[in-house]
Parts: sequence; structure tokens; C-alpha cells
Amino acid sequence: MGPNATASRVNALMLAFVAIIWVSPFAWLILNAFNPAATGRLVLPQTIGLDNFADALSGNAGRQFINSIILAAGTATLTVVVAIAAAYPLSRLNIPGRNAFLWSLVLLRMLPATGVIVPLYFTARNTGLLNTGGVIVALTILNLPFTLLLMKNFFDTVPIELEEAAFVEGASLWQIIRRIVLPLSRAGIAVVWFFSFTGAWNEFLLPLIFARTESGFPMSVGLYAAFGQQGAIQYGFLAAFSIVYAAPAVGVYFLLRRNMNTGFAGVGVKG
Amino acid sequence: MLKTSPILKTSPMLSSGRWLLLAGMVPALVLIAALLYFTFWAFSFSFTDLELVGRKSVEWSWVGLDNYERLFTRRGFLEALWTTGIFVFFSAIVGQSVIGFVLAAALRNDNSGVRPVLEVAIMLGWLLPDIVAAFLWSATTSETGLINALIVVPLGFEPINFINSYALPVVIVANIWKGTAWSYLLFSAALDAVPREVVEAAKVDGATPLQRVWRVILPMIRPHIATNLLFITIWTFTYFPLIYAMTGGGPGRQTTVLAIFLYDQSFSIGKLGYGSAISVAMLAIVGVLSLFYLRMLREPK
Repeated sequence: MGPNATASRVNALMLAFVAIIWVSPFAWLILNAFNPAATGRLVLPQTIGLDNFADALSGNAGRQFINSIILAAGTATLTVVVAIAAAYPLSRLNIPGRNAFLWSLVLLRMLPATGVIVPLYFTARNTGLLNTGGVIVALTILNLPFTLLLMKNFFDTVPIELEEAAFVEGASLWQIIRRIVLPLSRAGIAVVWFFSFTGAWNEFLLPLIFARTESGFPMSVGLYAAFGQQGAIQYGFLAAFSIVYAAPAVGVYFLLRRNMNTGFAGVGVKG
Repeated sequence: MLKTSPILKTSPMLSSGRWLLLAGMVPALVLIAALLYFTFWAFSFSFTDLELVGRKSVEWSWVGLDNYERLFTRRGFLEALWTTGIFVFFSAIVGQSVIGFVLAAALRNDNSGVRPVLEVAIMLGWLLPDIVAAFLWSATTSETGLINALIVVPLGFEPINFINSYALPVVIVANIWKGTAWSYLLFSAALDAVPREVVEAAKVDGATPLQRVWRVILPMIRPHIATNLLFITIWTFTYFPLIYAMTGGGPGRQTTVLAIFLYDQSFSIGKLGYGSAISVAMLAIVGVLSLFYLRMLREPK
């Protein structure tokens, strides 16, 4: 047992070292965010206060928080509605060419967004959509192949017998979808909604190109502009702003952790 | 076919609402068609001299393969390709994959309490928005930042402005810090699937720990390695926000990866035609890399 115990102690020591590297930026972030007199140095705050958070939620910063909410919730909702409307028929009807269509979605999903950024910008400019609305539509277009595949697979797992029983009882197709199909696939819809939400929440490149004024920025571009272009860096404000900005993305994951595993099982194409 | 076709015929429910169902598909089809159209358009733009502003934004003309020729004859593209290669190799393949694997292997048998802390920290890095990670690492590596305050100054050196002096290594480290979670999770799952008996048998046969990893475990998780490399290579190859927010591609062009080069040429300089050619080239490279990894995935061993 001698050499084994030494080995495991070395192992633990190495892991602790790695853990320190991974954790220390977070420790720095929290120390500065709660310190009203933060200078970006690693010091224990003399006083602990929420002043930085107040700054990060008011004025332009607060406006950008709302922009991000609109952008992310708008993208997620539009993506999910469009995907559900198409995924249900794709799952239930035997449409000719369906498999070819699904496979082309798989290929489109691999496409990096940078590849279509120029046409997206040009179209948005010509249609007057260089704003949050334009980013929502553009992100929905980019999200759709993946979301559609995911939703179609969810609907495949909802047994059609229930729907047919309801039809025999006299329910219309619209009622069946609203009362049976949607409630049964609620977990799947939630996962897809939050997945699109975090994607849009983190998005940087499209709003950077599309947004024109500081009050129109989402938080990603706002944070970039704040730490990239100011002479004297306000570390306390930026740290608090970072925490406010990161919280929804991180929170959603831990909230949905259990659903994630079931939700993302089997994202392939099934005939 | 036999399994699905009777549904359409025998289910009066679906045929009664057939038009409603087909109408529901229209918005998605329109948007997918738009995506296809944009892809085709990006390809077509690459043969024009279209510009962001000015006369050539309206009266553009076809220039044949000029833009593609420019990729190889003008400074910029090949340099950016080289930088991207270094960035992908060190941050994704060496950094995220190897560190992810080593951590997954080391944490499996760990019960010292480090595991939950490290797992949450790695996941937090992954979940953090790109720009927050960029801010954190800019601050950490600044002259008054964490690394200088904890390591460089106590050792008696002058504080170093890391982003000015070592831009590429800094963004590589930042990307490793941010992105290792994916590889870690994937390799953890892969190692769970390796049967214990096989490893024990190799141990009994006298294989050293290194031999066990190299000859037994790695070949068994080969498909996971290929999947992991496929995804992180594609992501890292086209990754934009972290590097752009930290360095803007500088100082000079030290950290101008292809995504930043594409952005600069298209939206700062305004050469949309040339930018499209860059994006087509990027798509082609990503396609070739994917084929390479997919072959690795298929090859039986």
C-alpha cells in the first residue's frame, strides 16, 4: 500500500493545484464585484457593498440587460414556435423526401455561422433590420436546423395512440395538439427553449455587426465596449456587470441539469 | 416505409387536419430556404468585388477568381491560417483534449473532495458567456492582475503586461480554461464505459500504468476521441468572440485568426467579396477536417 498511498497523495496535490488555477479568476471576480472601491487588484474589500451591482443594473447597463432579455427570449420563443409547427407534421406524416430533408438539416447544422455572416448583414441592411429584431430573425434561421431535428425526435417519442383515442372521442386536431401533444412534450420544449435562450444570450458577433447605438447593445456587446474602450477601467462595475450577465446562462444550466441528459439523448436522424 | 405509410392512410385524425399540418411547416421551410439561399449567396459573393460602402456596394461586378487568388498572393490569409492552426492545435487538441482526458482519468478515483469543486469550476468556465471570460482573462493577465500580483512580483520581477508581450499564449490559455469542460465530460463518460476487467487483466499481465492507458484504454475510447476532436476542432477553428474581445487580433496581427481576419476584411475594411471568399475557404477547410475525423471514427481497429 506504500507506493499507492504516495501516488494518490501526489494525485490529490496535483488536482488541488489545478483547482486553484480554475477557481482563482472567479474568486477575483467576486472580491471585486462586492468591493465598492475595487481597483482590479487582489485585495480583501474594506467594506462590502452592492454599489457596483446597482450601477450594473441602471442607466445604459440596465437598458442593455433588458435588450439581452428581449433578444434571448425573442429568439428562443420564435425558434421553438417555428420548430414545433414543422416538427409535429414531420414526425407524424409520411411526407415524400422527408429523410433527405432531415439529412440536409444535419449538414446545415454543421455550417459555421461565420460562413453566412456577410449575406445576413447585407439582407438585414436592405430590409431595415439592423436592430434587435434582425438579430432575432438571423439567430432563429441559424438555430432552426438543430432545433427542428431535436423537436422532431421528441414528438417521435410521444405515442400516437393517445392522439387517435382523443380523435375518436371527438377532439379536433387543434385541440389534440394543444391538450395532448404539447403537454406531453413539455420537458423537451423547455430544454429547447432554454438552449436557444442561452445561445442568444451569449451571442456576440451578430449584435456587434447589427446593433448601432450603445442603448441598443445587448450585454455581450455592452461589456465588450465597456472594458475595451474606456481609458480608466472600472473594475468593480465590470465585475458586477459580468456576474449579472453570466448569472442567467449559468443558472439555466443548473436548473435544467436533469432534463438535459434525457433531452439530448438521441439527436440523430431516425427513419 | 411499411411501418410509417399506413399511418397517413389509416389515421383520419391526420388526414382531417392535413392542410393545417402542412401550413404549419411553411415558416420553417421559408427560414431553411433562406439559410440555403444565404449559403449559396456567400458562395456567389466570393466571385464579386462587392464592398460594404461606396460605389461598389451598388455597382459591383464579377471578378472571377480574383478573390481566391488574393487569398494566396496578398499578406494576411495565410498568416491568419497559420495563427488559427497554432490556436486550434494548442488550445483545443493539446490543451482541452489532453487536459480534459487527464482530469477525467485523475478525478475518477479521487475521493479527497477536490472533485466537486473542480467539476463546478470547469463547468462554470464553460457556461460563462464568452465576453465575461474575455474580461476575466484580460484582468487576470493585466499589469496589476492576478498573475502579476501572485507570481511575478513576489518572485522579484517587474510586472509583465501579458497581453502585449505574449498575446497568443494568453488567448490559448484562456480558451483552455473556458473550453475544457466539454472534453472532460465526454472523456468521463467514455472512461465509465471501459470495462474494469479489461484494465485489471492488463494489470495482471504486467502492463505498466502508461502501457495500460496507451495500449488498452485509448484504443477502446477511440470513437470518443474522434467525436471530441471533430467538435472542438470545428468550434475552435471558427471561434471569434473570446479572442476578438481580448486582443482584437493584435498586437499587430499576432492573434488574427481566420474568424477575426474575415471580420476585419468584411466589416472594418469593407471588402465583402473578399470576405466571402475567406468564409468559403474556411468552410472548405472545416469540411476537409470533418471528413478526416469521420474517417478516424469509422476505421475499425
